[in-house]
This record gives sequence, structure tokens and C-alpha cells, in this order.
Amino acid sequence: MNTLIDYDWTVMAPELTIVVMAAFLSVIDLFLHPNKDRRLFMWPTLIGIVGAMCFVGMSWGKPAYQILADTYRVDDFALAFKMIMLIGTAFITVMSYGAFRKEKGFAEGEYYYLLLTALLGGMVMASSGDLITLFVGLELLSISTYILVGIRKRSVMTNEAAWKNVVLGGVASGFILYGMSFLYGLTGSTNLFTVRDRLGEALTSGYDLYAWLALFLIVFGFGFKVAAAPFHMWVPDVYQGAPTPITAFLAAISKTAAIALILRMFLIGFIPLFQGGRGTVLDEKTGGRVLLILAGLSMIVGTVIALRQQDAKRLLSYSSIAQAGVILVPLASWGPFLFPSTLYYLTGYLFSTVGAFSVLMLIERESRDSHLSSFAGLSRRSPFTALAMTLFLLSLAGIPVTAGFFGKFYILANAVVTGSPEHWAMYLIAGIMLVTTVASYFYYFAIIRMMYFRASQVEEKLRIPVGAMIVISVAAVATLGLGLMPQLVVDILGNVDWGASLAPVK
Amino acid sequence: MPVTSYLALGAVLFSIGLYGVLTKRNAVLVLFSIELMLNAANINLVAFSKYGLYANQTGQVFTLFTITIAAAEAAVGIAILFALYRNRNTTNADEFDSMKG
Repeated sequence: MNTLIDYDWTVMAPELTIVVMAAFLSVIDLFLHPNKDRRLFMWPTLIGIVGAMCFVGMSWGKPAYQILADTYRVDDFALAFKMIMLIGTAFITVMSYGAFRKEKGFAEGEYYYLLLTALLGGMVMASSGDLITLFVGLELLSISTYILVGIRKRSVMTNEAAWKNVVLGGVASGFILYGMSFLYGLTGSTNLFTVRDRLGEALTSGYDLYAWLALFLIVFGFGFKVAAAPFHMWVPDVYQGAPTPITAFLAAISKTAAIALILRMFLIGFIPLFQGGRGTVLDEKTGGRVLLILAGLSMIVGTVIALRQQDAKRLLSYSSIAQAGVILVPLASWGPFLFPSTLYYLTGYLFSTVGAFSVLMLIERESRDSHLSSFAGLSRRSPFTALAMTLFLLSLAGIPVTAGFFGKFYILANAVVTGSPEHWAMYLIAGIMLVTTVASYFYYFAIIRMMYFRASQVEEKLRIPVGAMIVISVAAVATLGLGLMPQLVVDILGNVDWGASLAPVK
Repeated sequence: MPVTSYLALGAVLFSIGLYGVLTKRNAVLVLFSIELMLNAANINLVAFSKYGLYANQTGQVFTLFTITIAAAEAAVGIAILFALYRNRNTTNADEFDSMKG
């Protein structure tokens, strides 16, 4: 019997750093005079995140370790996802500096430590080996983002966005929890590895429909969380109403965490359903088909509706629905590069999305409007920002020499490799991906056209706060760097034994 | 088999909750309906921890976690509804429609 002291707690150093910093900031916030400027909270937040990044980097490549009665699992899979989320949150912390005008009823202290708790939820999701920790992590992330979306209390649009997020997020949690309850009922355990071992038995003894019900309920809830069609109707409203840094958080970090959740569930807990499920009605291909439908629909719906958007923020939110579809393709096709291609795409997507939203934030600050026409004449008002935005949009569209191109190429190759005449759905999904990518050029180029070929009403220079400047420069360099030298990241991801990171610890 | 009746109760509660979320106009009732959905899952968990294929206590522990989380979620939901009511003077969810596109 292990006691709490027997565990090697150093493996949880990243999480503990974030917890300590969030607790520290919430106490300081209580004692600090209400009139004091809380923008300086950015520094402790950033220090915490960078510290956690160092700890994550230090434990990279070590064998998997399970802590707290096997509910919490630190392996390379979890560390890779944690690193992406930490980088993303660091960007969002920096870009928030000076992003908000002084306004009544804006709680800036809460803003920073809720970012940290949301990040913590994502990190818990990435490294949990148990249904309970998965659910607690998911809800920690969700509840923190409900508040963050509605943090500007006086704005009606923000309130509505927060309300829609709470209601649909709550429904999604209900579905996931209901699915998990069936999984527990069939296997009598919440440990993902025990679930895997016993689920095969349940399949053969006539309970296969319950197992499929659990899978469908969880996919349903997950569809909401990752913003995939046909569960996407909340996305544009919430993304539009939320403060722009939080929109970037939802688009980049929440999505990454949801992908980590579904990968853990599918590749550990539900694996018997994908390997010769000897069920009566549904066969082992059903799970893959469900994901293919989700991915295909997301790409088509996101792209088609984005084509007719006039609001840049809504346009980017529909584009993020289409991107969710692309990210799901590797899992749906189960190719040889499942992990590296997903993680590479998520990394590239993180830089281009956060960069694009920080440019959008600057435009919105000046014109108090996110209509496409606000981008008019940006190339004259701020050539650097226009150039960076072009780069981010090219990356999202998947045009060569950007991170997005190689990411899409990797995913496409992965899907085509798994295709065969009897596995023709892979060719279909690759086709959908190509067609929607080409169609997406139209709406991404609409913004680029606005920036370079339309005259602006205002001619004065765009004011760029130093935080946003740093984020845009770093994101632009990273987007370009990943596009020119993809092998830097691919080598790291390719050298990892992903199978070992999904095997139980002896 | 007694577990089926508990599962049926859970399924009925879940369906009522989902129906309520989709159709109710009063925002407070929408929040109630979400609670019903979460509690349906709790009933399932507790029933499985007594009559499941491998009956054990884990389900009840899970329920303790989900009850706490549901409370936190309800508190945040009500707080957001308060903010919304202050700005809009209504709890009619149909009127929360300032964003379109």
C-alpha cells in the first residue's frame, strides 16, 4: 500500500507550479487595494507558466510514471500536449497586457488567475489515466472559461456569449458524464487501463450496445468541446462575444485539451471497440466512421459558412470549426503518423491562430468593431502587422512555406497511406480536405485583399501595445520557422515511442 | 433485474433535462434542466456501484466529485445569469440574440 509520501511528486512539478501561482495571485488580489493597477499580475502569471515549461522540458523523454493510485499519468504524450497548452497560455497572457481599456466592472485580477486554472484543467486532462481525473480536469477548464468569456460584466454581448457557453458547455458535460457512467457500469472501474481490459469481455457477453452507447455519448459531448460540426452552433456566438484574447484561448488551448481527452479515451479506454468488436449490430469500423463523419462535416460546414461572413471574428470562428475537422482526420484514419501529425498540426495551428487573433484584437481596439472592412488599408497603417497577419492567414489556409502547409500535408499523407480500395473512406476524407482547403483560400484572401487593396477611412498609424507586438512577432517567426524547417519539430515527435506512452506502467 | 429500473429512471431524467434545455424559455429553468442531466448520470453511477457488472464503491466516489462540480457549474451559471439580467432586464432566453451571422 502506497502512502502519499511514497510517490515521486516531482513529476507533478508543472501542475504544482501553476496551482501555487494561481493561489498566490488570488490571495494577493484579495489584499491589494481595489484601485491598484492589476496589470502587473501578468508577471507572476508568466513566471509560473515559464517555470512549468522548464519542468515539462526536464521530464521529457523519461519513462511513464503513474501517481495518486494510477489516476494521474505523466508520459511523453501528456508532456507534448502540456507544452503546447503552456506556450499558448503564455502568448495569451502577454497579449492581454494592455489589451483591455480601463472600464468599470472589469476584474483584471481574476482574469489572470482564471487563465491559470483553465490551463491547469487542460493539463490535468492531458495527463489523466482515470475517468474521474479526466472529468474533473475537463470541468476545471470549462468552468474557468465560462467566467473568462463573461469577464466584461457590463457588456451585453459578452454576457450572452458567457450564457451560451455555460448552457451548451453544461449539456456537453452532461453527455460526457452520462457516457462515462455506462463505461463504469460495464467495467466497474474508472481506471482507463482496467476499462480497456474489461470492456472486451463486456462486448462478448451481450452488453456491446451499452459500450457503443457510451462511445456515442462521449463523442457527442466531445464534439461540443472541440467545436466540431454538427455540434458547432455555439461557437460563432461565443467566439464573437468573448474578449479577443479569450477567443484565442478557446480556439487554441481548449481545443488542444479536448483532443488530448478524446485521444486518451479512444486509444486506451475504448480500444476494444476498434479491434474486432465482436458485437452483434455494430462492427469495429463504426468508431472510425463516426469520427470521419465528424471531421468531414466540420470541414465542409466551417468552410461553407465562413465564405459568407462579413465579421472577421465570426469568420475566424468558422475557420476554427473547419480546422477542428482537419485535426480530427488523423484520429479518424488511424494512420502510422497519428501522434506526430496531430501534434505538429496543433503546434502550427496554435501559432497562427493566436497570432491572427492578436492582430484582430488590435484592429478591434482601434475601430471598436470586428467587421471585415476594419482591416481596410492596414498595409499602410501598419505594414508589419499586415505582413504578419498575411503570414498567419496563409498558414491557416495551408499555403507553402508556412507551418499550416506542412501540417496539412502531413495529415493528408497519413490519411492516404491508410487508404485502400476497401478502405475508400480515407480517400474521400482526403478529397474533402483538399477541396475545403482550396475553398478556404477565398475567405482568408478576403481579409488579405482588404488589408492591401482597400483604402482606409483612417490614415493614422495603428497603435500596437508592446505585449501584442511581442506575441505577433514571435508567432510570425514560429509560423515561418515551422514552415521552413518542419524537421525541427518532426524529429522530436518522430523519436518518441508513442506506443509506450499508452501502455500501463508495471 | 433491479438495475434496469434505475437505468430507466436515469434515462428519463436525462431526456427530461435535454428536452428542458432545448425548449424552455426561462433561463433559470434551462439551468435546472442541466442539473437534471448531470443528476441522471449520478443515479446511473450509484446504481452501477451496487448492481453493475463489477459492483464496487468507485461509482459513489465518482458521484461525490460530480455533485461538487455540478454545484460549481450551477453557481457560475447563476452568476452569469445575474450579470445578464442586470444588463437586459429579462430572463427570457429567446431574447439573448444580439449576435447573428
